[in-house]
Amino acid sequence: MELSKKYDEDELVLRLRNRSRSVFSYLYEHYAGALRAVILNIVTDEELANDVLQEVFVKIWRQIDSYDQSRGRLFTWMLNIARNASIDMVRSRSFQNSRKNQELTDQAGGINEMRTDQIGLRKLVSGLREEYRMLVELAYFQGYTQDEIAKALSIPIGTVKTRLRAALIQLRDIVR
Amino acid sequence: MSDNVDTKAYIESGVIESYVLGLANDQEIAELRQLTALYPEIQAAIHAFETALEKQLQNAGSPAHENTRKMLFDRLDGTFAEEAPVRSFSRAGFVKYIAAAAVLLLVVSAALNVYFYNRFRSANHAFLALLTEKYTIAGASGAMQTQMLGMYENMQLMSDPAVAKISMASAPGTEGNLATVFWDTRTKDVYLLPNKLPAAPAGKQYQLWAIVNGKPVDAGMIDSCTGLCRMKNITAAQAFAVTLEKKGGNPSPEGQMYVLGKVG
Repeated sequence: MELSKKYDEDELVLRLRNRSRSVFSYLYEHYAGALRAVILNIVTDEELANDVLQEVFVKIWRQIDSYDQSRGRLFTWMLNIARNASIDMVRSRSFQNSRKNQELTDQAGGINEMRTDQIGLRKLVSGLREEYRMLVELAYFQGYTQDEIAKALSIPIGTVKTRLRAALIQLRDIVR
Repeated sequence: MSDNVDTKAYIESGVIESYVLGLANDQEIAELRQLTALYPEIQAAIHAFETALEKQLQNAGSPAHENTRKMLFDRLDGTFAEEAPVRSFSRAGFVKYIAAAAVLLLVVSAALNVYFYNRFRSANHAFLALLTEKYTIAGASGAMQTQMLGMYENMQLMSDPAVAKISMASAPGTEGNLATVFWDTRTKDVYLLPNKLPAAPAGKQYQLWAIVNGKPVDAGMIDSCTGLCRMKNITAAQAFAVTLEKKGGNPSPEGQMYVLGKVG
């Protein structure tokens, strides 16, 4: 494992497409932590997050040929895979069942969520205004469409769109 | 969005962040991709947000369990390409390596330049010397050829039955001199072979005379010719003689006679 190595993105993608084990290993070393944090932001359970993380890297490995560099950075592509896989996991029947069981047995259920607030994207989102934080929670972490959010909150879709965009601009200012 | 796109307002609209985070709908994605192709500043804004987000999320990461890593690689075992022993191929290292190699090549090249320039100079000198020698030899060879041709012609002439050979022996009062006249009876051409004559003193020159009815007729001056010397044509003569005259000759002999020979 050559942890000290630095690859630029073109080379990284090229070598991943050439099925390089060492470069895939490098990819894991460099990005597993960041992706796992975002996965934890969504699934909140360590065990499940590790399972999702494994699935995410399998997807990255198998779908690297479909990654289009002209449409964004490699990390952005991987981040979206991680988010989608996490939301899929949360919505799956097995997750819903385990969550119910957990709620029955674990009276102090908030601990995990408290802790995952301090990592990943939630750490950045926590700096947003309350009304914006709610929209990002629903749209990003729970994967609701703007239409669904408008219905759930009983506000016009135009308002949802405008506020969400305002939230993202504020997030951008936090990020940079 | 139409012709007059206010890219600044577009960049500030939040649509870029929406796109990067996977929150944009299909219509927004299509529009953004169109605009990106047209406006580099939009592309730059996307890239800036992506890079900043990546950096922040790297910093806000959580350590991944080694066990997850092991399970992942066990699961994908067999899908990796055979790899040569890992070579250091990082861009920076590679550039350093290339730079070092380039400097080394430059030094070697410079040394070789000096070496080959010296080799070239000495080879060039040797070549010029050989070239000069070649021309010298060729010139000498040409001269020899000309001389041989002349001698061959002379031999032809001497052995021609129509050419009369008049041997001129030492004139009275002199000793050991000899010259020969070859006289073509058809063309009346006269050639002289100065077999044995003392070297003419400075300012003096030998002159050939044809004796016609007792009177000497100028038959030409003897130059330092090799082989046969071409003299003036003489139509009729009873004898030939050579005297030493002043340079350029005299209309009638004034100096001492060295050789004399009768025709026939």
